[in-house]
Amino acid sequence: MTETGKIEPVLDVSNLTTSFRIGGEWHPAVRGISFSLQPNETLALVGESGCGKSMTALSILGLVPKANGRVEAEHIRFQGKDLSRLPDDEMRKIRGNGISMIFQEPMTSLNPVLPIGFQVVEALRYHQKLSRGEGEKRALELLELVKIPSAKSRFKEYPHQFSGGMRQRVMIAMALACRPKVILADEPTTALDVTIQAQILSLLNELKAETDMSMIFITHNLGVVAALADRVAVMYAGDIVEIAGVNELFARPTHPYTEALMRSVPRSDRDTKTLYSIPGAVPPLTRMPQGCRFAARCELAIDVCRTQNPPLDVLGSGGAHSVRCWVRGNHDLAEMKENADV
Amino acid sequence: MLRFVVRRLIFAIPTLLAVMTVVFVLVRIVPGDPAQTILGDQASAEALQNMRERLGVDRPILEQYVEFMGGALVGDWGESMVTGKPVLAEIARVLPYTIELTVVSLIIGGLIGIPLGAWSALHRNEWIDYVTRVGSLLGLSFPAFVSAILMLIVFSIQLRWLPVISGGDRATFGEWAESLALPALNLGLIMAAYITRVTRSSMLGSLGEDYIRTARAKGVPERVVIWRHGMRNALIPVVTVVGLYLGILIGNSVLTEIVFNRPGLGKLIVGALGQRDYTLLQGLMIIYTFVIVIVNLLTDLTYGLIDPRVKYQ
Ligand SMILES: Nc1ncnc2c1ncn2[C@@H]1O[C@H](COP(=O)(O)OP(=O)(O)OP(=O)(O)O)[C@@H](O)[C@H]1O
Ligand code: SF4
Ligand SMILES: [Mg+2]
Repeated sequence: MTETGKIEPVLDVSNLTTSFRIGGEWHPAVRGISFSLQPNETLALVGESGCGKSMTALSILGLVPKANGRVEAEHIRFQGKDLSRLPDDEMRKIRGNGISMIFQEPMTSLNPVLPIGFQVVEALRYHQKLSRGEGEKRALELLELVKIPSAKSRFKEYPHQFSGGMRQRVMIAMALACRPKVILADEPTTALDVTIQAQILSLLNELKAETDMSMIFITHNLGVVAALADRVAVMYAGDIVEIAGVNELFARPTHPYTEALMRSVPRSDRDTKTLYSIPGAVPPLTRMPQGCRFAARCELAIDVCRTQNPPLDVLGSGGAHSVRCWVRGNHDLAEMKENADV
Repeated sequence: MLRFVVRRLIFAIPTLLAVMTVVFVLVRIVPGDPAQTILGDQASAEALQNMRERLGVDRPILEQYVEFMGGALVGDWGESMVTGKPVLAEIARVLPYTIELTVVSLIIGGLIGIPLGAWSALHRNEWIDYVTRVGSLLGLSFPAFVSAILMLIVFSIQLRWLPVISGGDRATFGEWAESLALPALNLGLIMAAYITRVTRSSMLGSLGEDYIRTARAKGVPERVVIWRHGMRNALIPVVTVVGLYLGILIGNSVLTEIVFNRPGLGKLIVGALGQRDYTLLQGLMIIYTFVIVIVNLLTDLTYGLIDPRVKYQ
């Protein structure tokens, strides 16, 4: 796909940096990341808690809290517009319409004092000129599409009358309402128990197959990635450290962090008691190391890792697999050493 | 919902009976002879005895209790020891004044406090927010009778917009509004100060909730996000505070009533206290209990209007 270079991406993010002001200083939570999303493609964003996955999605939609947050980008291109420079009212027309989002917390993401039917209608109302009756009819269809049992009779019920899984279905119905080109799914199943997770994932897969939408699927569960994604971007401390097609990534995980993530996936053929977990923790925003952010936890770290952050290098000739690592990227380490000495 | 109201009123009956009993006992263990208080030190023994008989305080306590409770239940609350008029009639005369003052103050307080609180929350830590917070703090700590006098000076004496003492003539709407304007504004501003503060803090809370982000992510216009999604949820604590404050307001309006020379429960109770009018005091305390029961009931009903999670069991 990418090789032809002919297909226009639906979404193209270039050099996105999202920072927070903490104690009077700006600290980037997302550090100049770039990626693009092809039509009908699912790109998974994976990484540990706090690595900037949600902020990446929120930045695209312009929903980063304005009080202490700041988004900068070379561009975030969508349908010929640069979302990073769009005025508020223009941006509003894109939210929930061209790009919509499903959130991590189904229990708190719906308004407790409004009926769920109304909340779905609301997703249509400000983007499409529909009469009240038409809006309700379409909302009902959507609730049926996401398989809410007896949707008609539950239309006027409130969120507290629904289980977590059902609420997430309502969220999905809202996200799909205007047939968006891109869905940003931020860990839509993390808060749900395993069987419900599987149901929601297969629902998303079905819906994606039936429409031509693209999806950015945020998760820290590599099992989900294997089942759902076409391409995977691995994030660590605000950087994309590796990006590749899903088969390529599972066949040749290259970044030491990706390898560690793979080892920490629970597998049915192994004892879960011996499950590997990556020692150490993600550095906090206010204490980011100067060099490679993973250096403190990396078994392969060498001197240069602690002073300089490696660039994202393309591996091989296809251009589809990139990695950000001094050891595993295409670097002449001898030359590196010389340069570092200068 | 009607069943809920009826049940709540039925549950209020034991409360009322208990309050009546306590009131009855209290009034009787207060030192001093009511007959002496009424007639003064110079009264003859015979006159005192006559008065005691008239008041019924010479009979056995249990008999008095049965008579008091029985009478109260059928609407006979006895006569005022001072004026001799029926207690219920005395209360009924001033009650409408108290109710109208309370309701209009509440409306003024809500109309000012809710938008101001929301505005302040939306401009958190900007100068608007600081001004509002300092202003509402002043409103809370300013003595009601001082602001009442200031209002009289400004609006009645300086600007001459309103009469200093409303004649008590309330035949037309204009006269009614004139007599109510300043007292209601005075209490309304205090109410507004309370409401502004709660609205601000609960609005800050609700605007930080996940469902607000969801609403924005759907492309709902900001105005709708704030009022429909933010305010609906923020109102729940506001109702609680209003409910609590309303009870206090009804009791504390006495200084406002005195400054503006209008009748009301507050003034009646102070008068009854000063003159040891025990029968009137009894009646007033029962009425207060009843008012509190009603205010609590209305508060709970309002919760139900705002929040679907509230169930009327
Ligand atoms: N409002 C905020 N103010 C300050 N820092 C913030 C704020 N929101 C997020 N951050 C920081 O930004 C970083 C990235 O957060 P983000 O929510 O994107 O993580 P995530 O990858 O989605 O993690 P999770 O898996 O826990 O959802 C974190 O270090 C977080 O502490
Ligand atoms: S750059 Fe160095 S520290 Fe960073 S992942 Fe590669 S080897 Fe490890
Ligand atoms: Mg997140």
